Amino acid sequence: MRNVRDIVREKIERKVDDRNILDRFTEDFAEIVEKYCKYIVVSGFVAISHGRARGTDDIDMIIERLDRTRFVLLHNDLINSGFECIQTESPEKAFDYLDEGISLRYVSKGEFLPEMELKFAKDELDEYQIKKRKKYPLTGTNLYFSSIECNIAFKEELLKSPKDLSDADHLRKVYPEADENEITRIKLEIKRLRMKK
Amino acid sequence: MKDRSHDEKIERWAKYVKEHPNEWKKHMKLFLDAQVTKANNFYKRLAETEEGKNKIRYILNYPKGKKI
Repeated sequence: MRNVRDIVREKIERKVDDRNILDRFTEDFAEIVEKYCKYIVVSGFVAISHGRARGTDDIDMIIERLDRTRFVLLHNDLINSGFECIQTESPEKAFDYLDEGISLRYVSKGEFLPEMELKFAKDELDEYQIKKRKKYPLTGTNLYFSSIECNIAFKEELLKSPKDLSDADHLRKVYPEADENEITRIKLEIKRLRMKK
Repeated sequence: MKDRSHDEKIERWAKYVKEHPNEWKKHMKLFLDAQVTKANNFYKRLAETEEGKNKIRYILNYPKGKKI
């Protein structure tokens, strides 16, 4: 847990204090997760954190694959810290969900929104995203995101909805220095791992 | 990629909206306001960086000469 001095320093560094419910929820959740494994925030929340004026109905988080014992510790820590899992109260069942490739959804106890959609890394591409995770100071948060290059590649190559393509376009404008070779490389991996027939 | 939990979530929320017609908007407003605030605060931080204001003009497609 951060002490007061850390919080004050953080506020000074950020200059703009925008810890609204969305940031508070996500940072508090991530702080607990980070005690057990590495995580990344991906997709819509990345775009919104970079100024995209559009809605998202949840925050997507990918975490390193954990064994059952370690996941139960994480789940219980989340519950004891004021979060609840919508699908089940049982940590064992919660693990089964993740293990089957189904997302878990957490909210602050008694609330409906915002909602954290949590999933295990499912292949080497997710593991790569976690390995390359980054903090982006302009977002004003202390969160780890999947890299801008990864986000652009996924949105342009795999997701491709008008909303995703607009997100990618927006991220390209915010980060014209994004590494084009890296984007191309990730797109090839997406084709190899996610689009094979 | 959406999985089973996404459909379940929509059903849950729709049920809540139907059963709590006077309450659901409060939850939604707070959530949506936070997203707009978040986007605005991003631009405030960006404006403070070198070339930030020009970048904002480019990102938001502002006409030439528009003051930020």
